[in-house]
Amino acid sequence: MSKKLELAESVRVKIADLKEVDILVGIPSFNSAKTIGHVVRAVEAGLSKYFPDGRSLLVNSDGGSSDGTMEVVRQANVDFDSVLLDHRNGGFHKLVTPYHGIPGKGSAFRTIFEIARELKVKACAVVDSDLRSITPEWIELLIKPVLEEDYDYVSPYYMRHKYDGTITNTIVYPLTRALYGKRIRQPIGGDFGFSGKLASFYLDKDVWETDVARFGIDIWMTTTAVANGFKICQAFLGAKIHDAKDPGADLSAMLHQVVSSVFNLMGDYAEAWRSVRGSEPVSTFGFAYSVGLEPIHVNLDKMIEKFQMGVKELIPMYRSFLPEDVLSFLNDLAIRPRAAFAYPDTEWVKTIFHFALACHRKIMSQEHIIKSLTPLYLGKVASFVIETWDSSAVEVEGRLEELCLSFEGEKPYLIERWDGNA
Amino acid sequence: MKSFVDKIIVQPLRDVTQKLVAFLPNLLTGIAVFAIGLVVAWLVKLLVVRIIKLLKLDAAFARSGVTDALQKMAVKDTPSKLIGRMFFWLVVIIFFVLSLSVMRAPVIDQLLEKFLLYLPNIFVALIILASGFVLGNFLGRAALIASVNAGVKLSGLLSKGVKTVILLFAFVMALEQLGIGRSTVIATFTIVFGGMVLALALAFGLGGKDLARTLLEKRFKKDGDADGERDELKHL
Repeated sequence: MSKKLELAESVRVKIADLKEVDILVGIPSFNSAKTIGHVVRAVEAGLSKYFPDGRSLLVNSDGGSSDGTMEVVRQANVDFDSVLLDHRNGGFHKLVTPYHGIPGKGSAFRTIFEIARELKVKACAVVDSDLRSITPEWIELLIKPVLEEDYDYVSPYYMRHKYDGTITNTIVYPLTRALYGKRIRQPIGGDFGFSGKLASFYLDKDVWETDVARFGIDIWMTTTAVANGFKICQAFLGAKIHDAKDPGADLSAMLHQVVSSVFNLMGDYAEAWRSVRGSEPVSTFGFAYSVGLEPIHVNLDKMIEKFQMGVKELIPMYRSFLPEDVLSFLNDLAIRPRAAFAYPDTEWVKTIFHFALACHRKIMSQEHIIKSLTPLYLGKVASFVIETWDSSAVEVEGRLEELCLSFEGEKPYLIERWDGNA
Repeated sequence: MKSFVDKIIVQPLRDVTQKLVAFLPNLLTGIAVFAIGLVVAWLVKLLVVRIIKLLKLDAAFARSGVTDALQKMAVKDTPSKLIGRMFFWLVVIIFFVLSLSVMRAPVIDQLLEKFLLYLPNIFVALIILASGFVLGNFLGRAALIASVNAGVKLSGLLSKGVKTVILLFAFVMALEQLGIGRSTVIATFTIVFGGMVLALALAFGLGGKDLARTLLEKRFKKDGDADGERDELKHL
């Protein structure tokens, strides 16, 4: 069990004043002054429109911004006369506080969870501070399933371009679905709803001094909720438009952060996923729609070149943990021309499983293992793009469903090797 | 004639025999001490191998690349067996030294003293070499993965270069620890390493200045991306 977080004096005074609150919406932030005002207004409008009778609190948990983010939050107000035809706004409060702990979104969330626990909150939501497409409806969709349908966890479901979120589509979604048996389409979405009970459960876990606090909080929240039997659903929120991260951000660093979190959680919850077979859909709230597919530029030649270079240079390293059949497939694929370039699902599933096993057995540094996955991931993405270039979003989703079924079908292969029996 | 033979042959022989007879007990004690040392060394080897297996250090050695490197050098023993053997010979040497000291010959005592004072240097030098090897493997692999992911074409060469430089550093430090040709080794290393760095800088800066410019523009200028180069994929 983790040590209780000490909240700042001003926060404890506010908590003592409020005593109890029905709904809490948390916004973690760091240098988000340009965008957070809109998010705060959308949250306030959503709470006033959909939960006018409840007592609600907006908490901004800030990581020491130097651009005036906290001041923007304090001053952001909704012009209700222009936004809502009819409104009541008796029970809305704001709390702005810096968070303490390891710098990262997880530490910001821990402060939010602690405040929720102190105020005995029934339903909570967290939203990113750089959202440009957030509307008041997001608040209804993230909170109502918890308040009125007794769900414990609401995962977001965004409408995305068919080639957006390739790490989620080729690794995180199919793997977590196969492991835990729930079809949560976007497990690392970033905006979630959850019950006060689940917030307390999260707080009791001893993860706040680990990488979960730095970068793994999203997948950790989803996996912890699923693996511990909480009632899960997802909410269709529409498009997610937010400030672009630095486009030069290192892909291998991103891959390492996400995949290491998933693999570490596999180790923590091995007993939970070993007995799961197949998967089932989760309830989805909200009105689903699709968007037009504007063409995007994908440099396939560069991806295939990186795949070929990766296989050529890293084969001696892969030999430490990939079986001979996978190695010979990779060598064969690396010499194929673009027209014949295809990374079948069965080989991809085996690749991911063996990388997970290598991390589990600590064959070498986990960071080295996962970063060496980058060229193979690019190969899989290139193969997927080649196969689905002319496909619609629905057809691509169908293709991803086949990939997920491959992960589920090969699960016994993983289980057999997890304890070193093969 | 008889007294001549007595003086030249018989008397010296008698002296040597007497000295040998006086030395014999010490010699036998020394041999006995050495024999006990062999038994103790064998027991220590068993104990060390068992402790290493209990601590699962063979897996740690496999992770750090030591096992691989040993196999490449045609050493079939596992690291645990190798360390066990090292401890065996260490104990044998110690008892050998003890057995020599028991014989109480002054020249041997002086040599022994010098040898024992030098022994820690050998031990430290071995640790330096082992650390250099493990670090070289780790950083070499890190450099390989980073350069492959960055699309650097000579990634294999870069990785081997990093590993070699670290091993070379470790080797020079070990030689310095052992006090072997101290100033010569350091001077040679400085000249060779400094020369390599200067040559690379000149080659890259002068000979490859256009390439350097293109690479820097690609790295630091977003607008410098050539048409068709950048992906619009959002991986997360």
